[in-house]
Amino acid sequence: MIYLDNAATTLRKPPQVSQAVVQALRRCANPGRGGHAAAALAEETVYRTRKTAAAYFGLEPEQVCFTANATEGLNIALRSLVRPGSRVVLSGLEHNAVTRTLTGLGAELVPVSAHIFDGDRWLEAFSDALTPGTAACVCLQLSNVFGAVLPVDRIGALCAARRIPFVVDASQSAGLLPVRPAFWQAAFTAMPGHKGLMGPQGTGLLLCRAEPAPLRFGGTGSNSMEQTMPSELPDRLEAGTLNVPGIAGLGAALDWLTRQDPALLLRRERGLLDTAVRGLRALGVPVWAGADQLGVLSFRIPGLDNEEAAARYAKAGIALRAGLHCAPLAHRTGGTLPEGTIRLSLSVLSEPGEIRSFLSVTKGMMNH
Amino acid sequence: MNDLYLTLRSVTPGQKGRDALQKAGIRCSLLRAPREIAPGGCAYALALREQDRSRAQTVLDRSGVRWVGCYRRRADGSFVRTDP
Repeated sequence: MIYLDNAATTLRKPPQVSQAVVQALRRCANPGRGGHAAAALAEETVYRTRKTAAAYFGLEPEQVCFTANATEGLNIALRSLVRPGSRVVLSGLEHNAVTRTLTGLGAELVPVSAHIFDGDRWLEAFSDALTPGTAACVCLQLSNVFGAVLPVDRIGALCAARRIPFVVDASQSAGLLPVRPAFWQAAFTAMPGHKGLMGPQGTGLLLCRAEPAPLRFGGTGSNSMEQTMPSELPDRLEAGTLNVPGIAGLGAALDWLTRQDPALLLRRERGLLDTAVRGLRALGVPVWAGADQLGVLSFRIPGLDNEEAAARYAKAGIALRAGLHCAPLAHRTGGTLPEGTIRLSLSVLSEPGEIRSFLSVTKGMMNH
Repeated sequence: MNDLYLTLRSVTPGQKGRDALQKAGIRCSLLRAPREIAPGGCAYALALREQDRSRAQTVLDRSGVRWVGCYRRRADGSFVRTDP
């Protein structure tokens, strides 16, 4: 199979990842729940990943909290900052992980829009919307629908100057673009472990530079007589048994990523995206492409329903995703509602031959 | 002999403190705190030599690791609180 659905999850991982998962399954008990060797090994396995992630993102280990996915991290972040009626400014490209959470909290959503691939316009739009009384600002770094890269560093500076807590969704960018919460002055940065970070599904990280409210309550293996959740991170957010095998796999993935040349990974992925864009355009396929774009490409096959086209690709052995990609707001902003698009998404392990095969299949579809 | 115990609320600051102390050349071990010095239940302790106390406190302060209590273990195994 040619797998080009990496925005959903990366399927091909460095081999060390599954090895670490299996080792942890065989040898690790419950961290923080005993003084025996298997519990101690679990504690060390979890801490090693925490420390590696902290170094990778320029934070202290206790600021790295493990979650089940980016959605959980965003839920924690938004529930920590937003009350019913709170005014929240967000990019018009946000995922349902943000918009449904804010809706559920009873917030006033203020989505800003701009030309999808124009970072300067996004900055202007945020600047206009970030008025006094705004409870929080939420912005993704890379759109899961269009691959647009938003200027989170400059939006973060705006928020800091106006004392508005800033939440970054780094779901599609972590592992590909620099994620620097301290530089962005972000209160919270959420991401999955299983996409660009190359870890297993069921893992995620919430990077905390502000005090979070816990989403889960329960045992932490610490200060057990106390019936309120600990105030210290990471325990405050990590009630219950952690996904130790997943965290072990994520640690191995981060070790692997740390040894790569980030500029080379970026250049490779940019090159593959350019090849796909040029190839599709040469075939007369409408694409959503621009300068500030990485890793994700939306397109449509003229005269063919998106789901039907994706099914034909799947029959030809090519995995893509069609529809709204859990981001109807992004499609509203991009003018692609109600049909949505077909999405091709890359990983740092995608190969030029995969793009060639994809273009060859597309050519066949265009000829029919 | 590691006879000085610095107690911590949870394992993560303990691990961070242990790494910082070891990096500074201070021998220590991280263990689950005995019940006598963990009145809140389920805590951890960094055990180190009394002679390293002052230097260890400096290293931990610099690393942002806050401990809850400081105890000396007597020869009979009981503890006496010796917070600075």
